[in-house]
Amino acid sequence: MNRRNFNKLVVSSFALSLAACSSLTSVSTLPAKKKRVVVVGGGFGGATAAKYLKKFSPDTEVILIEQNEEYYTCPFGNTVIAGMNDIEYIKHDYKTLASKYKIQVIHAKVKKVDGTTSSVILENGDIIPFHRAIVSPGIDFKYEKGYEEGSELHSPHAYKAGAQTSLLRKQLEDMKDGGTYVMVAPTNPFRCPPGPYERISLVAHYLKNNKPKSKIVILDQKKKFSKQGLFQEGWEDLYPDMIDWRSVEFGGKVLKVDPIKRILTTDEGDVKADVLNYIPSQKAGKLAFDSGLTKGDWCPINTKTFESKLVKNVHVIGDASIATKMPKSGFSANSQAKVAALQISRLLQKMPVINPPKLANTCYSLLSPTYGISVAAVYEAHEDKIIKVKGAGGLSPMAASKDFRMQEAEFAVGWYKNQMADIFK
Amino acid sequence: MKKIALALVCLYGISFAGDYDATQGQMLSLSCASCHGTDGKSTAVTPYIAGMGKTTMYKTLLDYKYGRKTGTIMQKHAKGFSDDELEQVSYYFSKVQR
Repeated sequence: MNRRNFNKLVVSSFALSLAACSSLTSVSTLPAKKKRVVVVGGGFGGATAAKYLKKFSPDTEVILIEQNEEYYTCPFGNTVIAGMNDIEYIKHDYKTLASKYKIQVIHAKVKKVDGTTSSVILENGDIIPFHRAIVSPGIDFKYEKGYEEGSELHSPHAYKAGAQTSLLRKQLEDMKDGGTYVMVAPTNPFRCPPGPYERISLVAHYLKNNKPKSKIVILDQKKKFSKQGLFQEGWEDLYPDMIDWRSVEFGGKVLKVDPIKRILTTDEGDVKADVLNYIPSQKAGKLAFDSGLTKGDWCPINTKTFESKLVKNVHVIGDASIATKMPKSGFSANSQAKVAALQISRLLQKMPVINPPKLANTCYSLLSPTYGISVAAVYEAHEDKIIKVKGAGGLSPMAASKDFRMQEAEFAVGWYKNQMADIFK
Repeated sequence: MKKIALALVCLYGISFAGDYDATQGQMLSLSCASCHGTDGKSTAVTPYIAGMGKTTMYKTLLDYKYGRKTGTIMQKHAKGFSDDELEQVSYYFSKVQR
Protein backbone atom coordinates (compact mmCIF):
# COMPACT_ATOMS: atom_id res chain seq x y z
CA MET A 1 0.00 0.00 0.00
CA ASN A 2 1.41 3.43 -0.90
CA ARG A 3 1.30 6.39 1.38
CA ARG A 4 -1.53 8.17 -0.40
CA ASN A 5 -3.79 5.12 -0.13
CA PHE A 6 -2.77 4.70 3.46
CA ASN A 7 -3.67 8.30 4.25
CA LYS A 8 -6.99 7.86 2.49
CA LEU A 9 -7.62 4.84 4.66
CA VAL A 10 -6.88 6.69 7.81
CA VAL A 11 -9.09 9.56 6.74
CA SER A 12 -11.91 7.19 5.85
CA SER A 13 -11.64 5.43 9.16
CA PHE A 14 -11.76 8.76 10.95
CA ALA A 15 -14.67 9.82 8.76
CA LEU A 16 -16.48 6.67 9.77
CA SER A 17 -15.87 7.22 13.44
CA LEU A 18 -16.66 10.94 13.19
CA ALA A 19 -19.92 10.09 11.51
CA ALA A 20 -20.60 7.70 14.34
CA CYS A 21 -19.72 10.15 17.11
CA SER A 22 -21.24 13.58 17.21
CA SER A 23 -18.20 15.28 18.67
CA LEU A 24 -14.89 15.78 16.94
CA THR A 25 -12.13 13.83 18.60
CA SER A 26 -8.46 14.28 17.96
CA VAL A 27 -6.29 11.28 18.64
CA SER A 28 -3.03 13.19 19.05
CA THR A 29 -4.00 14.54 22.48
CA LEU A 30 -5.72 12.80 25.36
CA PRO A 31 -9.43 13.59 25.74
CA ALA A 32 -10.05 16.20 28.47
CA LYS A 33 -12.80 14.45 30.41
CA LYS A 34 -12.57 10.84 29.34
CA LYS A 35 -10.21 7.95 29.76
CA ARG A 36 -8.64 6.51 26.65
CA VAL A 37 -7.59 2.94 25.97
CA VAL A 38 -5.67 2.16 22.80
CA VAL A 39 -5.83 -1.43 21.58
CA VAL A 40 -3.12 -2.53 19.18
CA GLY A 41 -3.82 -5.57 17.00
CA GLY A 42 -7.25 -6.56 15.71
CA GLY A 43 -7.22 -10.35 16.04
CA PHE A 44 -9.04 -12.61 18.50
CA GLY A 45 -7.53 -10.76 21.45
CA GLY A 46 -7.50 -7.13 20.32
CA ALA A 47 -10.86 -6.93 18.56
CA THR A 48 -12.58 -8.66 21.50
CA ALA A 49 -10.89 -6.34 24.00
CA ALA A 50 -12.02 -3.24 22.08
CA LYS A 51 -15.63 -4.40 21.91
CA TYR A 52 -15.84 -5.46 25.55
CA LEU A 53 -14.13 -2.28 26.82
CA LYS A 54 -16.99 -0.36 25.26
CA LYS A 55 -19.49 -2.82 26.69
CA PHE A 56 -18.12 -2.49 30.24
CA SER A 57 -17.27 1.18 30.08
CA PRO A 58 -19.17 3.04 27.33
CA ASP A 59 -17.70 6.41 28.35
CA THR A 60 -14.14 5.28 27.75
CA GLU A 61 -12.66 6.30 24.43
CA VAL A 62 -11.47 3.17 22.67
CA ILE A 63 -9.11 3.30 19.71
CA LEU A 64 -8.32 0.07 17.83
CA ILE A 65 -5.23 0.14 15.64
CA GLU A 66 -4.92 -2.68 13.12
CA GLN A 67 -2.81 -2.58 9.96
CA ASN A 68 -5.24 -4.54 7.76
CA GLU A 69 -8.81 -3.67 6.85
CA GLU A 70 -9.72 -7.32 6.72
CA TYR A 71 -8.89 -10.11 9.11
CA TYR A 72 -8.59 -13.77 8.18
CA THR A 73 -8.90 -16.21 11.06
CA CYS A 74 -6.54 -19.14 11.54
CA PRO A 75 -9.39 -21.16 13.06
CA PHE A 76 -11.35 -22.74 10.19
CA GLY A 77 -8.45 -21.83 7.87
CA ASN A 78 -7.82 -25.57 7.59
CA THR A 79 -11.30 -26.03 6.10
CA VAL A 80 -10.29 -23.54 3.39
CA ILE A 81 -7.03 -25.39 2.68
CA ALA A 82 -9.04 -28.62 2.32
CA GLY A 83 -11.58 -26.98 -0.02
CA MET A 84 -14.53 -27.31 2.38
CA ASN A 85 -15.02 -23.54 2.60
CA ASP A 86 -14.11 -20.55 0.49
CA ILE A 87 -11.55 -18.01 1.77
CA GLU A 88 -14.47 -15.57 2.27
CA TYR A 89 -15.70 -17.85 5.06
CA ILE A 90 -12.78 -16.84 7.29
CA LYS A 91 -12.73 -13.14 6.31
CA HIS A 92 -13.98 -10.54 8.78
CA ASP A 93 -13.83 -6.76 9.09
CA TYR A 94 -14.05 -3.97 11.65
CA LYS A 95 -17.02 -2.01 10.33
CA THR A 96 -19.48 -3.14 13.01
CA LEU A 97 -17.00 -2.41 15.79
CA ALA A 98 -16.77 1.16 14.49
CA SER A 99 -20.45 1.77 13.75
CA LYS A 100 -22.21 -0.14 16.54
CA TYR A 101 -19.71 0.20 19.38
CA LYS A 102 -18.25 3.62 18.54
CA ILE A 103 -14.73 2.30 18.50
CA GLN A 104 -12.29 4.46 16.53
CA VAL A 105 -10.69 2.02 14.14
CA ILE A 106 -7.43 3.18 12.62
CA HIS A 107 -5.75 1.11 9.93
CA ALA A 108 -2.06 1.84 10.33
CA LYS A 109 1.22 0.17 11.16
CA VAL A 110 2.48 0.67 14.69
CA LYS A 111 6.17 1.30 15.25
CA LYS A 112 6.10 0.80 19.00
CA VAL A 113 4.07 1.13 22.14
CA ASP A 114 6.06 3.50 24.31
CA GLY A 115 5.55 2.92 28.02
CA THR A 116 7.66 5.86 29.14
CA THR A 117 5.45 8.42 27.36
CA SER A 118 2.26 6.28 27.52
CA SER A 119 1.73 6.57 23.80
CA VAL A 120 1.52 4.52 20.63
CA ILE A 121 3.89 5.63 17.89
CA LEU A 122 2.78 4.88 14.34
CA GLU A 123 5.21 4.17 11.51
CA ASN A 124 4.16 7.43 9.86
CA GLY A 125 5.33 9.29 12.99
CA ASP A 126 1.89 10.03 14.45
CA ILE A 127 1.67 9.72 18.22
CA ILE A 128 -1.43 8.54 20.03
CA PRO A 129 -1.32 8.94 23.83
CA PHE A 130 -3.29 6.63 26.13
CA HIS A 131 -4.22 6.09 29.76
CA ARG A 132 -3.87 2.36 29.23
CA ALA A 133 -3.03 0.20 26.25
CA ILE A 134 -3.80 -3.38 25.31
CA VAL A 135 -1.37 -5.05 22.95
CA SER A 136 -2.34 -8.24 21.13
CA PRO A 137 0.53 -8.69 18.68
CA GLY A 138 0.16 -12.40 17.94
CA ILE A 139 3.16 -14.42 16.83
CA ASP A 140 6.17 -14.18 14.58
CA PHE A 141 8.35 -16.95 13.24
CA LYS A 142 11.85 -17.97 14.18
CA TYR A 143 13.59 -18.34 10.88
CA GLU A 144 15.72 -21.45 11.05
CA LYS A 145 17.53 -24.24 9.21
CA GLY A 146 17.29 -22.54 5.81
CA TYR A 147 13.68 -21.37 6.14
CA GLU A 148 13.86 -17.59 5.86
CA GLU A 149 11.58 -14.65 5.32
CA GLY A 150 10.26 -15.18 1.78
CA SER A 151 10.51 -18.98 1.99
CA GLU A 152 6.77 -19.02 2.67
CA LEU A 153 6.14 -18.12 -0.98
CA HIS A 154 7.51 -21.55 -1.99
CA SER A 155 6.85 -23.62 1.11
CA PRO A 156 3.94 -21.93 2.89
CA HIS A 157 3.58 -22.01 6.65
CA ALA A 158 -0.08 -20.94 6.35
CA TYR A 159 0.13 -20.23 10.07
CA LYS A 160 -0.94 -16.63 9.62
CA ALA A 161 -4.16 -16.76 7.65
CA GLY A 162 -5.00 -14.97 4.40
CA ALA A 163 -2.77 -15.12 1.33
CA GLN A 164 -0.82 -18.01 2.88
CA THR A 165 -4.03 -20.02 3.34
CA SER A 166 -4.94 -19.52 -0.34
CA LEU A 167 -1.42 -20.40 -1.47
CA LEU A 168 -1.37 -23.70 0.39
CA ARG A 169 -4.86 -24.46 -0.97
CA LYS A 170 -3.63 -23.82 -4.51
CA GLN A 171 -0.51 -25.98 -4.07
CA LEU A 172 -2.63 -28.81 -2.75
CA GLU A 173 -5.01 -28.51 -5.72
CA ASP A 174 -2.06 -28.50 -8.14
CA MET A 175 -0.38 -31.51 -6.55
CA LYS A 176 -0.48 -34.70 -8.64
CA ASP A 177 -2.30 -37.80 -7.45
CA GLY A 178 0.41 -39.89 -5.83
CA GLY A 179 2.25 -36.82 -4.54
CA THR A 180 3.64 -36.33 -1.05
CA TYR A 181 2.40 -33.58 1.26
CA VAL A 182 5.00 -32.92 3.95
CA MET A 183 4.36 -30.86 7.05
CA VAL A 184 7.06 -29.76 9.44
CA ALA A 185 5.35 -29.27 12.82
CA PRO A 186 6.98 -26.82 15.26
CA THR A 187 8.49 -27.15 18.73
CA ASN A 188 6.50 -26.02 21.78
CA PRO A 189 5.15 -23.51 22.57
CA PHE A 190 3.27 -22.43 19.47
CA ARG A 191 -0.08 -21.01 18.39
CA CYS A 192 -3.00 -23.48 18.43
CA PRO A 193 -1.42 -26.77 19.59
CA PRO A 194 -3.91 -29.05 17.75
CA GLY A 195 -3.87 -26.82 14.62
CA PRO A 196 -1.22 -28.69 12.58
CA TYR A 197 -2.92 -32.04 13.21
CA GLU A 198 -6.38 -30.77 12.30
CA ARG A 199 -4.80 -29.51 9.09
CA ILE A 200 -3.28 -32.93 8.37
CA SER A 201 -6.70 -34.53 8.95
CA LEU A 202 -8.53 -32.23 6.57
CA VAL A 203 -5.78 -32.42 3.93
CA ALA A 204 -6.14 -36.21 4.19
CA HIS A 205 -9.89 -35.82 3.75
CA TYR A 206 -9.31 -33.84 0.54
CA LEU A 207 -6.69 -36.26 -0.78
CA LYS A 208 -8.76 -39.35 0.00
CA ASN A 209 -11.62 -37.98 -2.10
CA ASN A 210 -9.55 -36.40 -4.88
CA LYS A 211 -6.03 -37.84 -5.03
CA PRO A 212 -6.22 -41.14 -3.17
CA LYS A 213 -2.74 -42.39 -4.15
CA SER A 214 -1.10 -39.49 -2.29
CA LYS A 215 0.77 -39.67 1.01
CA ILE A 216 1.20 -37.35 3.97
CA VAL A 217 4.36 -37.16 6.07
CA ILE A 218 4.60 -35.13 9.29
CA LEU A 219 8.11 -34.36 10.47
CA ASP A 220 7.43 -33.34 14.05
CA GLN A 221 9.99 -31.36 16.04
CA LYS A 222 8.58 -32.73 19.31
CA LYS A 223 7.88 -36.09 20.94
CA LYS A 224 4.11 -35.84 21.27
CA PHE A 225 1.26 -33.53 20.35
CA SER A 226 -2.11 -32.20 21.48
CA LYS A 227 -5.05 -34.66 21.44
CA GLN A 228 -2.63 -37.23 20.02
CA GLY A 229 -4.63 -40.34 20.97
CA LEU A 230 -7.82 -38.92 19.49
CA PHE A 231 -6.15 -37.78 16.28
CA GLN A 232 -4.36 -41.08 15.74
CA GLU A 233 -7.53 -43.06 16.46
CA GLY A 234 -9.39 -40.93 13.91
CA TRP A 235 -6.63 -41.20 11.29
CA GLU A 236 -6.66 -44.99 11.58
CA ASP A 237 -10.40 -45.00 11.15
CA LEU A 238 -10.77 -42.40 8.39
CA TYR A 239 -7.45 -42.40 6.51
CA PRO A 240 -5.72 -45.75 7.05
CA ASP A 241 -2.15 -45.92 5.70
CA MET A 242 -2.20 -42.34 4.42
CA ILE A 243 -0.55 -40.44 7.29
CA ASP A 244 3.03 -41.08 8.42
CA TRP A 245 3.77 -39.16 11.65
CA ARG A 246 7.46 -39.13 12.61
CA SER A 247 8.33 -37.79 16.04
CA VAL A 248 11.54 -35.86 16.64
CA GLU A 249 13.07 -39.01 18.09
CA PHE A 250 12.19 -41.28 15.19
CA GLY A 251 13.11 -39.64 11.92
CA GLY A 252 11.18 -36.40 12.37
CA LYS A 253 14.06 -34.11 13.30
CA VAL A 254 14.74 -31.62 10.50
CA LEU A 255 18.37 -30.54 10.19
CA LYS A 256 18.06 -28.41 7.06
CA VAL A 257 15.45 -27.33 4.57
CA ASP A 258 15.58 -26.20 0.94
CA PRO A 259 12.24 -24.41 0.69
CA ILE A 260 12.50 -23.86 -3.08
CA LYS A 261 13.34 -27.45 -4.05
CA ARG A 262 11.16 -28.67 -1.15
CA ILE A 263 13.81 -31.03 0.21
CA LEU A 264 14.26 -31.69 3.91
CA THR A 265 17.39 -33.15 5.42
CA THR A 266 16.66 -35.30 8.46
CA ASP A 267 18.96 -37.47 10.54
CA GLU A 268 17.46 -40.45 8.69
CA GLY A 269 18.01 -39.12 5.16
CA ASP A 270 16.37 -36.67 2.78
CA VAL A 271 12.62 -36.25 2.38
CA LYS A 272 11.30 -34.78 -0.89
CA ALA A 273 7.96 -33.02 -0.80
CA ASP A 274 5.55 -32.13 -3.60
CA VAL A 275 3.86 -29.71 -1.23
CA LEU A 276 5.87 -28.52 1.74
CA ASN A 277 3.97 -26.95 4.61
CA TYR A 278 6.77 -25.73 6.88
CA ILE A 279 5.54 -24.33 10.20
CA PRO A 280 8.53 -22.69 11.93
CA SER A 281 9.03 -22.34 15.67
CA GLN A 282 7.46 -19.21 17.11
CA LYS A 283 7.89 -16.18 19.34
CA ALA A 284 5.84 -13.12 20.24
CA GLY A 285 4.99 -10.70 17.41
CA LYS A 286 7.70 -8.17 16.48
CA LEU A 287 5.80 -5.28 18.04
CA ALA A 288 6.15 -6.92 21.46
CA PHE A 289 9.95 -6.95 21.07
CA ASP A 290 10.06 -3.39 19.69
CA SER A 291 8.00 -2.20 22.67
CA GLY A 292 10.16 -3.85 25.34
CA LEU A 293 7.38 -6.22 26.40
CA THR A 294 9.32 -9.47 26.05
CA LYS A 295 11.49 -11.59 28.28
CA GLY A 296 12.91 -14.42 26.21
CA ASP A 297 10.48 -15.15 23.40
CA TRP A 298 7.22 -14.12 25.09
CA CYS A 299 5.63 -11.42 27.27
CA PRO A 300 5.45 -11.80 31.07
CA ILE A 301 2.19 -10.50 32.54
CA ASN A 302 0.32 -10.03 35.79
CA THR A 303 -2.08 -12.95 35.53
CA LYS A 304 -5.04 -11.18 37.10
CA THR A 305 -5.05 -8.13 34.84
CA PHE A 306 -2.74 -9.08 31.94
CA GLU A 307 -0.73 -5.92 32.63
CA SER A 308 2.85 -6.30 31.44
CA LYS A 309 5.38 -7.01 34.16
CA LEU A 310 7.85 -4.88 32.23
CA VAL A 311 5.86 -1.85 31.05
CA LYS A 312 3.31 -0.12 33.28
CA ASN A 313 -0.22 0.53 31.99
CA VAL A 314 0.32 -1.73 28.99
CA HIS A 315 -1.54 -5.04 28.95
CA VAL A 316 -0.58 -7.97 26.74
CA ILE A 317 -3.10 -10.63 25.74
CA GLY A 318 -3.33 -13.57 23.36
CA ASP A 319 -0.62 -15.77 21.87
CA ALA A 320 2.21 -13.36 22.79
CA SER A 321 1.50 -13.43 26.54
CA ILE A 322 2.86 -15.95 29.03
CA ALA A 323 -0.48 -17.20 30.31
CA THR A 324 0.55 -20.77 31.15
CA LYS A 325 -1.43 -23.07 31.72
CA MET A 326 -3.67 -21.59 29.06
CA PRO A 327 -2.79 -22.71 25.53
CA LYS A 328 -2.08 -20.17 22.81
CA SER A 329 -5.48 -20.34 21.13
CA GLY A 330 -8.07 -17.99 19.68
CA PHE A 331 -10.51 -19.00 22.41
CA SER A 332 -7.91 -18.25 25.10
CA ALA A 333 -7.18 -14.84 23.56
CA ASN A 334 -10.92 -14.07 23.50
CA SER A 335 -11.29 -15.12 27.15
CA GLN A 336 -8.20 -13.14 28.22
CA ALA A 337 -9.37 -10.07 26.30
CA LYS A 338 -12.65 -9.93 28.19
CA VAL A 339 -10.95 -10.34 31.57
CA ALA A 340 -8.38 -7.67 30.68
CA ALA A 341 -11.13 -5.31 29.47
CA LEU A 342 -13.16 -5.87 32.64
CA GLN A 343 -10.18 -5.31 34.94
CA ILE A 344 -9.08 -2.20 33.01
CA SER A 345 -12.57 -0.71 33.14
CA ARG A 346 -12.47 -1.20 36.94
CA LEU A 347 -8.96 0.22 37.27
CA LEU A 348 -9.95 3.31 35.28
CA GLN A 349 -12.84 3.83 37.71
CA LYS A 350 -10.49 3.26 40.67
CA MET A 351 -12.37 0.11 41.67
CA PRO A 352 -10.57 -3.00 42.95
CA VAL A 353 -9.88 -5.67 40.34
CA ILE A 354 -11.92 -8.88 40.41
CA ASN A 355 -9.98 -11.51 42.30
CA PRO A 356 -9.58 -14.17 41.13
CA PRO A 357 -10.90 -13.88 37.58
CA LYS A 358 -11.88 -17.10 35.83
CA LEU A 359 -11.10 -17.97 32.25
CA ALA A 360 -11.76 -20.87 29.91
CA ASN A 361 -10.68 -22.57 26.74
CA THR A 362 -12.38 -24.93 24.35
CA CYS A 363 -10.58 -26.12 21.23
CA TYR A 364 -12.52 -28.04 18.64
CA SER A 365 -10.70 -29.86 15.84
CA LEU A 366 -12.24 -31.38 12.74
CA LEU A 367 -10.91 -34.67 11.43
CA SER A 368 -13.47 -34.58 8.62
CA PRO A 369 -16.57 -32.45 8.00
CA THR A 370 -18.56 -34.89 10.16
CA TYR A 371 -15.94 -35.88 12.74
CA GLY A 372 -15.11 -33.44 15.54
CA ILE A 373 -13.09 -33.71 18.77
CA SER A 374 -12.47 -31.23 21.55
CA VAL A 375 -10.47 -30.32 24.59
CA ALA A 376 -11.72 -27.96 27.28
CA ALA A 377 -10.47 -26.42 30.51
CA VAL A 378 -11.50 -23.85 33.12
CA TYR A 379 -8.83 -21.61 34.61
CA GLU A 380 -8.42 -19.36 37.62
CA ALA A 381 -5.81 -16.60 37.80
CA HIS A 382 -3.86 -16.88 41.05
CA GLU A 383 -0.82 -14.89 42.16
CA ASP A 384 1.71 -15.15 39.38
CA LYS A 385 0.13 -18.15 37.68
CA ILE A 386 -3.02 -19.27 35.95
CA ILE A 387 -4.11 -22.65 37.27
CA LYS A 388 -6.36 -25.25 35.69
CA VAL A 389 -9.37 -25.89 37.92
CA LYS A 390 -9.03 -29.49 39.10
CA GLY A 391 -11.72 -31.95 38.07
CA ALA A 392 -12.91 -29.77 35.21
CA GLY A 393 -12.16 -29.91 31.50
CA GLY A 394 -10.67 -32.76 29.53
CA LEU A 395 -10.67 -34.40 26.13
CA SER A 396 -13.41 -36.02 24.07
CA PRO A 397 -13.69 -39.71 24.92
CA MET A 398 -11.77 -42.30 22.90
CA ALA A 399 -13.83 -44.83 20.92
CA ALA A 400 -16.91 -42.58 20.86
CA SER A 401 -19.83 -43.21 18.50
CA LYS A 402 -20.12 -41.66 15.06
CA ASP A 403 -23.05 -39.61 16.35
CA PHE A 404 -20.90 -38.17 19.13
CA ARG A 405 -18.15 -37.17 16.65
CA MET A 406 -20.81 -35.71 14.36
CA GLN A 407 -22.28 -33.66 17.22
CA GLU A 408 -18.85 -32.26 18.08
CA ALA A 409 -18.30 -31.35 14.43
CA GLU A 410 -21.59 -29.42 14.52
CA PHE A 411 -20.60 -27.69 17.76
CA ALA A 412 -17.26 -26.76 16.18
CA VAL A 413 -19.09 -24.89 13.43
CA GLY A 414 -21.45 -23.41 16.03
CA TRP A 415 -18.50 -22.21 18.08
CA TYR A 416 -16.93 -20.52 15.06
CA LYS A 417 -20.12 -18.70 14.13
CA ASN A 418 -20.84 -17.45 17.64
CA GLN A 419 -17.19 -16.71 18.35
CA MET A 420 -16.91 -14.52 15.26
CA ALA A 421 -20.07 -12.64 16.25
CA ASP A 422 -18.70 -12.26 19.80
CA ILE A 423 -15.59 -10.60 18.37
CA PHE A 424 -16.70 -8.64 15.33
CA LYS A 425 -20.50 -8.07 15.60
CA MET B 1 -46.93 -8.65 58.30
CA LYS B 2 -45.66 -11.63 60.34
CA LYS B 3 -47.24 -13.95 57.80
CA ILE B 4 -45.44 -12.26 54.96
CA ALA B 5 -42.15 -12.47 56.81
CA LEU B 6 -42.72 -16.15 57.51
CA ALA B 7 -43.60 -16.77 53.86
CA LEU B 8 -40.42 -15.02 52.76
CA VAL B 9 -38.33 -17.07 55.17
CA CYS B 10 -39.93 -20.28 53.84
CA LEU B 11 -39.40 -19.27 50.27
CA TYR B 12 -35.79 -18.48 50.98
CA GLY B 13 -35.37 -21.76 52.83
CA ILE B 14 -36.80 -23.79 49.97
CA SER B 15 -34.87 -22.28 47.09
CA PHE B 16 -31.60 -21.68 48.94
CA ALA B 17 -31.25 -18.65 46.70
CA GLY B 18 -28.13 -16.58 47.22
CA ASP B 19 -28.09 -12.86 46.54
CA TYR B 20 -27.20 -11.79 43.05
CA ASP B 21 -23.72 -10.34 42.71
CA ALA B 22 -23.82 -8.61 39.32
CA THR B 23 -20.05 -8.14 39.10
CA GLN B 24 -19.35 -11.80 39.77
CA GLY B 25 -22.18 -12.95 37.47
CA GLN B 26 -20.91 -10.85 34.61
CA MET B 27 -17.29 -11.95 35.03
CA LEU B 28 -18.28 -15.61 35.08
CA SER B 29 -20.50 -15.21 32.00
CA LEU B 30 -17.66 -13.99 29.80
CA SER B 31 -16.21 -17.30 28.69
CA CYS B 32 -19.72 -18.73 28.05
CA ALA B 33 -20.12 -16.13 25.28
CA SER B 34 -17.33 -17.65 23.17
CA CYS B 35 -19.55 -20.62 22.27
CA HIS B 36 -23.03 -19.37 23.18
CA GLY B 37 -22.67 -15.88 21.67
CA THR B 38 -22.34 -12.45 23.32
CA ASP B 39 -24.66 -12.47 26.37
CA GLY B 40 -25.77 -15.97 25.36
CA LYS B 41 -27.53 -14.84 22.17
CA SER B 42 -26.47 -17.77 20.01
CA THR B 43 -27.21 -17.68 16.30
CA ALA B 44 -25.90 -21.20 15.74
CA VAL B 45 -26.49 -24.79 16.88
CA THR B 46 -25.08 -23.97 20.36
CA PRO B 47 -28.06 -23.31 22.68
CA TYR B 48 -29.45 -19.78 23.08
CA ILE B 49 -29.20 -19.08 26.80
CA ALA B 50 -29.99 -15.35 27.01
CA GLY B 51 -33.02 -14.74 29.22
CA MET B 52 -33.22 -18.40 30.31
CA GLY B 53 -35.05 -18.86 33.64
CA LYS B 54 -32.57 -18.66 36.50
CA THR B 55 -33.88 -21.76 38.30
CA THR B 56 -33.90 -23.87 35.13
CA MET B 57 -30.41 -22.82 34.14
CA TYR B 58 -29.01 -23.32 37.64
CA LYS B 59 -30.57 -26.79 37.87
CA THR B 60 -29.24 -27.73 34.42
CA LEU B 61 -25.72 -26.62 35.33
CA LEU B 62 -25.85 -28.52 38.64
CA ASP B 63 -27.07 -31.61 36.74
CA TYR B 64 -24.07 -31.32 34.42
CA LYS B 65 -21.71 -30.78 37.32
CA TYR B 66 -22.92 -33.75 39.38
CA GLY B 67 -23.22 -36.21 36.50
CA ARG B 68 -27.01 -36.30 36.30
CA LYS B 69 -26.82 -34.96 32.75
CA THR B 70 -24.10 -35.44 30.14
CA GLY B 71 -23.42 -33.56 26.98
CA THR B 72 -20.37 -33.38 24.76
CA ILE B 73 -18.63 -30.63 26.69
CA MET B 74 -20.85 -28.80 29.21
CA GLN B 75 -20.12 -31.18 32.09
CA LYS B 76 -16.42 -30.39 31.68
CA HIS B 77 -17.10 -26.67 32.07
CA ALA B 78 -19.69 -26.99 34.86
CA LYS B 79 -17.19 -28.91 37.01
CA GLY B 80 -14.88 -25.88 36.91
CA PHE B 81 -17.22 -23.75 39.03
CA SER B 82 -18.56 -23.81 42.60
CA ASP B 83 -22.34 -24.15 43.06
CA ASP B 84 -22.42 -20.47 44.05
CA GLU B 85 -20.63 -19.50 40.87
CA LEU B 86 -23.06 -21.54 38.76
CA GLU B 87 -25.92 -19.77 40.51
CA GLN B 88 -24.40 -16.35 39.82
CA VAL B 89 -23.90 -17.07 36.16
CA SER B 90 -27.50 -18.34 35.96
CA TYR B 91 -28.70 -15.07 37.49
CA TYR B 92 -26.67 -13.14 34.93
CA PHE B 93 -28.14 -14.86 31.86
CA SER B 94 -31.69 -14.76 33.32
CA LYS B 95 -31.44 -10.97 33.43
CA VAL B 96 -30.38 -10.55 29.80
CA GLN B 97 -33.20 -9.38 27.51
CA ARG B 98 -33.97 -12.22 25.09
